[in-house]
Amino acid sequence: MRHTGFTVHDGLLLAQGLGVSLGLFAGTFALGLVLGSAAAVVRHFRVPALGAALHAGLELLRNSPVLVQLFLVFFGIPALIHQPLTPVVAAGVTLSANTAAFVYFIAVAGLDAVGRDQVEAARVYGFSRAQLVRHILAPQAAAFALGPLVGLAVNQLQVTSLVSVIGVMDLTKAGDILNLRTLRPFAVWTMVGALYFAAAKGLTLLGHHWERRLRAHAPPLGF
Amino acid sequence: MIAVEGVVKRFGTQTVLDGVSLTVAPGEVVTILGSSGSGKSTLIRCINGLERLDGGRITVDGLDVANPRQLAQARRLSATVFQLFNLYPHMTVLRNVTLAPEVVLKRPEPEVAAEARALLASVGLADKADAYPAQLSGGQRQRVGICRALAMNPRYLLLDEVTSALDPEMTAEVLAILGRLASQGTTMLFVTHEVEFARRISTRIVFLDQGRLIVDLPTADFFDPARGLAHPRINQFLSKMTPVGERP
Amino acid sequence: MRFDLTVLLPHLDALLAGVLLTAEVCALGIVGAFALGTGLGLAATTHGWPGRLARFYVDVFRNVPFVVQVFFLYYGLPEVGVYIDAFWTGVMALTLVGGAYASDVVRSGILAIEPGVVEAARVSGLSRLSIFRRIVLPIALRTALQPLGSVFVNLVLSSSILSMITLDEVTGAARGVAAETYRPFEVYAFLLVAYAGLTYAVSLGVGALHRRLNRHLVAGGRA
Ligand SMILES: Nc1ncnc2c1ncn2[C@@H]1O[C@H](COP(=O)(O)OP(=O)(O)OP(=O)(O)O)[C@@H](O)[C@H]1O
Ligand SMILES: [Mg+2]
Repeated sequence: MRHTGFTVHDGLLLAQGLGVSLGLFAGTFALGLVLGSAAAVVRHFRVPALGAALHAGLELLRNSPVLVQLFLVFFGIPALIHQPLTPVVAAGVTLSANTAAFVYFIAVAGLDAVGRDQVEAARVYGFSRAQLVRHILAPQAAAFALGPLVGLAVNQLQVTSLVSVIGVMDLTKAGDILNLRTLRPFAVWTMVGALYFAAAKGLTLLGHHWERRLRAHAPPLGF
Repeated sequence: MIAVEGVVKRFGTQTVLDGVSLTVAPGEVVTILGSSGSGKSTLIRCINGLERLDGGRITVDGLDVANPRQLAQARRLSATVFQLFNLYPHMTVLRNVTLAPEVVLKRPEPEVAAEARALLASVGLADKADAYPAQLSGGQRQRVGICRALAMNPRYLLLDEVTSALDPEMTAEVLAILGRLASQGTTMLFVTHEVEFARRISTRIVFLDQGRLIVDLPTADFFDPARGLAHPRINQFLSKMTPVGERP
Repeated sequence: MRFDLTVLLPHLDALLAGVLLTAEVCALGIVGAFALGTGLGLAATTHGWPGRLARFYVDVFRNVPFVVQVFFLYYGLPEVGVYIDAFWTGVMALTLVGGAYASDVVRSGILAIEPGVVEAARVSGLSRLSIFRRIVLPIALRTALQPLGSVFVNLVLSSSILSMITLDEVTGAARGVAAETYRPFEVYAFLLVAYAGLTYAVSLGVGALHRRLNRHLVAGGRA
């Protein structure tokens, strides 16, 4: 049985898929942001073994294909721990860790840009480490990192499209299903591509909007 | 002959050259003086075709620079030396000098290279032929810039503040070379703030003021208190330019 | 189950065949991306419609996920009568997306050239073509070399996605080995490290080439 026409239901399917993609992106990006920044702070304070281990691990994640990471988590870890993972959990873990890797390197560059002399100056005034991060390092590093982070966000949104391969019902999977039913891949993938494009452009606009607002409040770095 | 006839150049609403006329005949050294922003660089850039004219006409030996075909011909007749050298950073000193003669004039490589080495030697850079521009001092770079221009065997040499980016010692190096060129009869159109030097080598001096060419006199007349110096703008300009002791 | 890499030994030939296919498809893709990126990068610096077209192209290919592009080319094009096998679809896909990223890099390289240098070439009577070939392109590519290296490294990582259109490059081969051995963790962990090693090697090579080509920009270097 084969229905070649597109129906209202197909629109819903795509919309649902887009929702899953955006949700997955938002969740994993937020998590990756927290984890990556935390790792960068650990490195900044030169915590001995932990810093080096994190650095090596994240470097590995940044320099290998997300698809392979996804396979490692979804197929590899269950084989090791004899405990199945659901596709959504595997996707969430993988994308968060992958995002964290990229955030880490952006944040490290941001912290380095703030400069150690400022940190030393703050120490002299008796700031604690936590206060130092909160009042001195974080705001300036964030202002520095904002542009790269917007670019990263657009990238990571696109990376979510890979999770369909382990069975998450995202926008690409919706395209897959639609494709099998209608056998109109040209139209289907054009539509799916257009939806991703629109989402990415929306995200870029949003990012630049925030960037402007934050820049207006945070004083620029001294350069 | 370079003939500039009633040239007008605007940037947006600002008129930078306002009906400028000027000729440079073979064998002459013509110096353009004028305060900052008066349009000296723009005039040079109009002559070598880097700016489009908004009025008037410029010809080099009869070739109209507004016409693309004739401009290509005219560019073989004149050569420009720039304030900031503008050397090709990825090429050796020798290649900087030989590129245009080889590619534009289609002259054979060995001949061009030999000539370029001789030119470099004549400005004291024989041992720098294989260096890259970034490895040279400012004065050395500008001497390369002059060699690059001379390698084209130009009839006219256009120089726009070629010593402004140099310290006094390097300025002296470069001016010495230009003085020699002038005494050899090289035709030059010369923008400079080195008034004393201009006075020594120029046949004529013209003065640009806010885009208008207000004075065009033989050098001696330009510094004559009854002629050029009688002009208040010029008097004011020179009193700022020249140390008191050297004032005529 | 213990972590045991020796289980991979009997399957090394299959993995090696995959590596070779990855190398082939990536080498062709990189060459294509370089050529396309150079052309697009130059076009993007112009003001007329070629510039607008080039910028639009880059926008599209940077904002649509690579999987979707690959599916469109592999499944969509046959619907309109264009049949290309998986290998050449892979080369084409890498060329198209790599060209978009490379063009941005080349474009910035061109825009970073001092205008005075080009003016010097113009007044010396060099033709537009000569100026482009002998002045603009060599200078721009020297600036662009390192970012181009990252573009190409990312292209290698993206090529893993071609396993989704039945191309048995190294990721595809690894999936086969994982299914055969029931040791997905070993297989994918090994693959991940292998990719990271490869990208590391490429970036080392690019770094060395960069230093070599830019010797002349270092003041005071050997003449
Ligand atoms: N590309 C341009 N766009 C807009 N305005 C310009 C441009 N080039 C020059 N101008 C303006 O034209 C005027 C003349 O500039 P020009 O560079 O010719 O002056 P100059 O006499 O060479 O000055 P200086 O002695 O400082 O070199 C200046 O007001 C300058 O701001
Ligand atoms: Mg000037």
